[in-house]
Amino acid sequence: MLVKYLLATIVAGLFAGILLTPAMYVRNVPLILHAEEYENAGGPEHSHDAAGATSEAAPAAVAPHEHEKEVSPALPFGRFGNTLLINLVAGAGFALITGAAALFLGRRITLQNGIYWGLAGFFIFNLAPAFSLSPELPAMPAADLATRQAWWLITVLLTAGGVYLIVLRDEIWAKVLGIALIVAPHVYGAPEADDLTSSVPPTLASEFAVSTLATNLFFWVVLGTALGWAIQHYAQSELDA
Amino acid sequence: MAATRTSTTISLPLASRLTTAVFSLMLGVFIIYGVGLSHSETLHDTAHDTRHSYGFPCH
Repeated sequence: MLVKYLLATIVAGLFAGILLTPAMYVRNVPLILHAEEYENAGGPEHSHDAAGATSEAAPAAVAPHEHEKEVSPALPFGRFGNTLLINLVAGAGFALITGAAALFLGRRITLQNGIYWGLAGFFIFNLAPAFSLSPELPAMPAADLATRQAWWLITVLLTAGGVYLIVLRDEIWAKVLGIALIVAPHVYGAPEADDLTSSVPPTLASEFAVSTLATNLFFWVVLGTALGWAIQHYAQSELDA
Repeated sequence: MAATRTSTTISLPLASRLTTAVFSLMLGVFIIYGVGLSHSETLHDTAHDTRHSYGFPCH
């Protein structure tokens, strides 16, 4: 077991997770809070919209909203504390997956090429899924949750395969197949809600889509660079052994 | 001078990398599943803002 390598990836992930938190609070979290005002207070004004949306949507998509009005079972660190904790954990998770990919491929993440690993991660986990399935605000209409999650997961896997074939393989067939893998989920199409009526203003939604992509680009560039730095400084001896 | 240049490939044979790679991948996937996709209400509510901000399908 390459213990230093594992620890180096986790350290880089925690670092990126810490920096992600204030970045999220610049735009994304204020927009989420703004949208939640429509989710909770939109009842009387938009009751006809809400009733229409709930009767047509799948039951599974309706139930999760109710927790907002009840006692939330979230961990007791407050909204900011919970988000910081989850960002730390998520940073470590994405770092472990990226570090594992590099190990499988026999590639070394360095300070110089770290940004490219980060850009690949951003493309695979954020940009490609967002192309057909925009980042959602609370109270926005959406298709059944499990169906959207399945589409998201399949898109991430296909895009990862596509990026590998295009970037790391020289054969022409690999490039063509890589493009096909990346395009396929978008040709198939992401699951969409039957009724697109929303109480959230469209301006908020478009601002949110752009700001989340910018924030996540920042996260991945930091993560890739930090991975390169940490692996070079702490795990070089293991990889050269 | 050539010695200070870092190679972008790992010379370590696959057999020595495989255990760490599999362990790291499984741990990472387990974490990301918990943060982004799990239907547990506690996890959903704790991770709420991160899920939306990250673009995970939510609600």
